[in-house]
Amino acid sequence: MIQTIRIGHLLREAVAAPYRNLVTRPTGAAVRSRIEEKLAGSNCLTALLDFSGIELVDLSCADEVVAKLLLAGRNAYFFVLQGLREDHHEAIDHVLIHHRLAVAAVPPGSREPLLLGWVSPDARQAFACICDRGPLGAGDVARALGWLDSRSCDALRDLTLHRLVRPIGELYHPVPTA
Amino acid sequence: MTRVIEVPGHFDDRNFDSFAEGFGEWPPEERLLLDARSTQWASPYGLIGMLTAGQALREAKREKPLFTVPTSDEVKRYWARAGFFQQAAELFELHGKVPRATTTGPSDVLLDVTPVRASEDVHSVVDKISEGASRILHGELGLEMKATLRFSMALSEACQNIVEHAGTSGWVAVQAYTFRRRLGRRVVVIAVSDAGIGFRRSLESTHAKRFGERWGDGAALEAALIQGVSRFRDPGRGQGLAFIKRFLDQWEGKISIRSGTARLSIVPPWDEDVPLADHLPYFPGAQVQIIIPAQQPERR
Repeated sequence: MIQTIRIGHLLREAVAAPYRNLVTRPTGAAVRSRIEEKLAGSNCLTALLDFSGIELVDLSCADEVVAKLLLAGRNAYFFVLQGLREDHHEAIDHVLIHHRLAVAAVPPGSREPLLLGWVSPDARQAFACICDRGPLGAGDVARALGWLDSRSCDALRDLTLHRLVRPIGELYHPVPTA
Repeated sequence: MTRVIEVPGHFDDRNFDSFAEGFGEWPPEERLLLDARSTQWASPYGLIGMLTAGQALREAKREKPLFTVPTSDEVKRYWARAGFFQQAAELFELHGKVPRATTTGPSDVLLDVTPVRASEDVHSVVDKISEGASRILHGELGLEMKATLRFSMALSEACQNIVEHAGTSGWVAVQAYTFRRRLGRRVVVIAVSDAGIGFRRSLESTHAKRFGERWGDGAALEAALIQGVSRFRDPGRGQGLAFIKRFLDQWEGKISIRSGTARLSIVPPWDEDVPLADHLPYFPGAQVQIIIPAQQPERR
């Protein structure tokens, strides 16, 4: 199950004002705790964090909302960001690289997720391959990318640790985005 | 006894140290008079520096200082329009006629002298700046569109430093003007200042030991700006200044931070400042200045 969480709504609730800029640590922490409350009240495995209508995400909020959610929920949830404009990527990418974390983001008007943050170049290629072709085994990824099986296994293990693919049996599924 | 501190005729970061020197031992025992009668111009850094002095004196429970306003009507009008007198009236006993603040169409003042006391103020500052920032940064300075977001982020992070580290409130002001002699180009300047505990005291309990005898205002600034350390144990902290530094590199911008008796700058090729100035006259709190120049045609 997927739960869509509208960050803009939570921001307005958190600051009790019609702000569209996700800035400052206290605001980020307040938004994050509302996200956690929503997740605690649902039995979904995947949370789609929708940033539509947000004008600016500063580093403090990127850290408080995205990085800390990933750190706290790394064993429980798959997180996907959506509604991010390209110019929002910089702050989120910066803080995730700092923490050596990564998240999938679906650009507006697209179904193809991209990766923000830090993963190995091989994991990045394997991610793109699985998003493009659907569920694949380690051998399928190796064949598609012309790799040895061991290299494919390493890349998929990396993606699994970052919760960027869902291993079910022998197959690695892309994280659901809709 | 009253000690007179002359405000420089052309007051900006380059002569801030002579202004600071006028205060002598801090906090001064005598009543102070800031004499701005001959002042012809002040940068946002100069304006909020004066307010910081007033605030620090108030927090040190000194007698309310006197302030003689500039003689020039034009200068007074500009300072009024920049919101200076409105803030100064709370901190100084103003002498001289002060014009009412009026807004007369588009202005080079992107953000009036604005107090920063809490996180909500940072929200207001970022909200207020967004439209004007795009007009100046993209329209006048030739920076890419995403520069506006980076600029707002820099502003947000610089203001949050006050809320999170200073232990008191501060001010921010943003203005566009032309660096005629220094650069021959338009620039946007963000100035942020507070009268708080400064970088050294903020970082002392967590980082002083590592620096040993080198520990001081200069080392604290180096730790914050170059090494990205923070007094918080949270590993996500300390990224704000590092991020600002990175994009200023791309735009040949400058950041300088003065705290206590030191000033650390990331110096672009067009500026002749030194990276670290130590043993300066003491001034309370921390003063940050970010300068973003117009891009030269070949870089656009």
